[in-house]
Amino acid sequence: MASNIEIERQIAAREYKAGFITNIQSDTLPPGLNEDVVRFISNKKGEPEWLTEWRLKAYREWLEMESPDWAHIKYPDIDYQAVSYYSAPKSMADKPKSLDEVDPELLETYNKLGIPLHEQMALAGVAVDAVFDSVSVATTFREKLKEAGVIFMPISEAVHEYPELIQKYMGTVVPVKDNYFAALNSAVFSDGSFVYIPKGVRCPMELSTYFRINEAKTGQFERTLIVADEGSHVSYLEGCTAPMRDENQLHAAVVELIALDGANIKYSTVQNWYPGDENGKGGIYNFVTKRAVAHTNAKVSWTQVETGSAVTWKYPSCVLKGDNSVGEFYSVALTNNYQQADTGTKMIHMGKNTRSTIISKGISAGKSQNAYRGLVRMNPTAEGARNYTQCDSLLLGDKCGAHTFPYIESKHPSAVVEHEATTSTVSDDQLFLCQQRGIDTEKAVSMIVNGFCKEVFKELPMEFAVEAGKLLEVSLEGSVG
Amino acid sequence: MSDFLAEQLSLATKQTGPEWLSELRDAGQRSFSDAQLPTRKTEAWKYTSLYNLSNAGVANAAPAAQGHAPVIPGLNGLRLVVCNGIPDVCSSDPEAMELVVRFTDADAEQQQAILAQLGKTLADKGNLFSDLNTAALTDGYFLNVAKNHILRKPLHIIYCTTPVTESGDEKFTVNTRLLVNLQSGSSATVIEHFSGEGEQNNFTNAVSEICVGDNAELTHYRLQLMSEGAYHISNCHIDLQRDARYSGFHLALGTALTRNDIVVNHNVGGSHCELNGVYVPQNKQLVDFHTNIEHKVANCTTEEVFRGIMNDSSKAVFNGRIHIHPQAQKTLAELSNKNLLLTNKAEINTKPELEIYADDVKCAHGATVAQLEEKATFYLQSRGISKEEAEVMLSFGFINELLDALDDEAIGAWLRPQLAQRFGRDDALTTHIGGDL
Repeated sequence: MASNIEIERQIAAREYKAGFITNIQSDTLPPGLNEDVVRFISNKKGEPEWLTEWRLKAYREWLEMESPDWAHIKYPDIDYQAVSYYSAPKSMADKPKSLDEVDPELLETYNKLGIPLHEQMALAGVAVDAVFDSVSVATTFREKLKEAGVIFMPISEAVHEYPELIQKYMGTVVPVKDNYFAALNSAVFSDGSFVYIPKGVRCPMELSTYFRINEAKTGQFERTLIVADEGSHVSYLEGCTAPMRDENQLHAAVVELIALDGANIKYSTVQNWYPGDENGKGGIYNFVTKRAVAHTNAKVSWTQVETGSAVTWKYPSCVLKGDNSVGEFYSVALTNNYQQADTGTKMIHMGKNTRSTIISKGISAGKSQNAYRGLVRMNPTAEGARNYTQCDSLLLGDKCGAHTFPYIESKHPSAVVEHEATTSTVSDDQLFLCQQRGIDTEKAVSMIVNGFCKEVFKELPMEFAVEAGKLLEVSLEGSVG
Repeated sequence: MSDFLAEQLSLATKQTGPEWLSELRDAGQRSFSDAQLPTRKTEAWKYTSLYNLSNAGVANAAPAAQGHAPVIPGLNGLRLVVCNGIPDVCSSDPEAMELVVRFTDADAEQQQAILAQLGKTLADKGNLFSDLNTAALTDGYFLNVAKNHILRKPLHIIYCTTPVTESGDEKFTVNTRLLVNLQSGSSATVIEHFSGEGEQNNFTNAVSEICVGDNAELTHYRLQLMSEGAYHISNCHIDLQRDARYSGFHLALGTALTRNDIVVNHNVGGSHCELNGVYVPQNKQLVDFHTNIEHKVANCTTEEVFRGIMNDSSKAVFNGRIHIHPQAQKTLAELSNKNLLLTNKAEINTKPELEIYADDVKCAHGATVAQLEEKATFYLQSRGISKEEAEVMLSFGFINELLDALDDEAIGAWLRPQLAQRFGRDDALTTHIGGDL
């Protein structure tokens, strides 16, 4: 189809706008990983003894583990000794007290990315924690949030200020030994965000973390922990970008969400790590473990828009532990050129009358491979549980692949699981219908793709929906007149 | 190598068969000799443990005095009875014996034809049990339908096993091999019927290789109604040539453990595959269906429907893969798998997989797991039918849809009461299921 070739070209040529490098002096640990590196990171953050031990234990576990090979992705073996595990801008070494003391170069970086950190300039209603390589640069609106009792700070600070909360919850959802990359993260995690919403509080604004990899030959290993106490409510956004480089950089994060009785957590991600160039050179290897536990009557909702990364390996999951808890997963994954994505979710139903919804939309173009991999498990205790899964794939181009690997395990007769999947291309009929109404081919395809993703986009918070829409449009724009 | 596999191998090497098969047999023995029993960590055996398989002994099967071959009333078929792997001449139709070539009786020309096809459709190397079958290849059956020939009567191959062999072994292994070649423009119906009565503990390892030629048509039934203690592992590979049509119905009712691997290859273009299946395990039975449809070329279609009802502490596994190769444009493929769980000890693991490398295709799959709908039960209750009876009717209806679609009504009519018994163990409960039972 001629129009598809045009679309492919447009997509291939799309610009990666966040690909610049910030020239800044950094303290970077030489590449290599051993117990001393783990101790160094722990020491750098001034962590208490128990956390150092926790990291070391994770490191020893990691040494015993093997890199998983079941995903539908291919990448050369990662040399973990060639990665630097800690990098921080020099100016962050003496811990600036306020934003005025932060290196203007850093602030400029975030301005360029459209994330102003000065509160008067910032988007009202969104508090941002900006993480640059291995450290958190600034966290906005902290005071305002504190008034509501909400704790929102870098996890490295939270370890000192709220050690009891960290000790109680960290590693409970994603245990150290959970998988290869989670173990690695547990050993060397550098920064990330910590959120605690007290009982019955509705968080007054959206919380957001923006991750930026800058330094070459480094990996980013952040850890996010969100605890929503009984009856509380929070919406959290996550964004990420990295410079364009020829080398592959590693990103292995862990996100743990705990929704206690009646709490509600909405976690949205727009992942736009550098995807590599049109020949598949460079790009981020994104190996992420995200999991939530929902207690009685709690609700957890994951929404993700995955457009970046050379390799994505990511399965945001929900353990529906309490009765009547609800899990949701909405995902749009766009792969292009030589990108590979193996992403999906796990819904583990344990409580009675638990419900889950999975809507996954995969778009593959160029020579990319896009796979949905999901698990729905109804445990013998999941009386009256309900799941609905829909995964649709759209193929733009005849050299890409779209795959679906849904695992369904049911052990309760009253649990109902429904799974539907379709794969198709933008059909000639659809295009013709638009064309005969005076809409040109490119615009028609753009419309069809947007319509395809609509179900997911409508779940995103407004600010993000705009960004996500733009991200997809970039791929198709230019074809409009 | 586990004890079980080692014993199987030594048994296979001890057997003697025709000289012209020895090359294949040696190759099978070589690849089998490095084999490991799959564990739960092997993706294709994730939910199916072979731990109990070693309960089924490996002693060589010998002809039993008398096998009991079931009859399907009203099926005007050609009966070929194979008892513990050996043809039972007395119970078979002479016409069937003539139609089907036994490997050991094959003349030079037939040997050539057999060698040309044998092992060729087993494309994916390294399947432990098809390797075992080849390693122990001393005999088999070959149906060759000539060009433009239409086989009017269905070929009814009955594989029966006896509780003990003539030498008194209760535990033994039977390797069966069927080769079907439908030459261009021909048409046939083949019923592979696995049966066994009484307390049994044996292990059947069946391999069927089928080639449906240009514009040929095969209707294939694979009915597994063995006794509940037996073990059954089978590989069924089907090659479809230009504009070939395959319609398959695969039923699993018996055995403690059933594992069926069904592979359909669309090789040339224009071919159509309809693959249906039913599994109804009860007690502690385990049924595992792995289907794999390989769309290697453009313009082929597949419709696949599998339905299962799990009762008591039984367990079922369904893995339906559809693989669209890069050049397989204009493919239409649909897969549906629906399951009913009747008790809270039963278990179903289903995984409909799509692997697609071509863009101009339409593929869909759906899977559901549920229990009987309350509204439907209530509807029947409101008409004076007891709850238990309503449940039996609905469960039966769930499966009966596929039975009604069978080409040969005699098979449907014969299977219905057997299936009805599964749901309503009390006769009183089955009174409303079809007047013609």
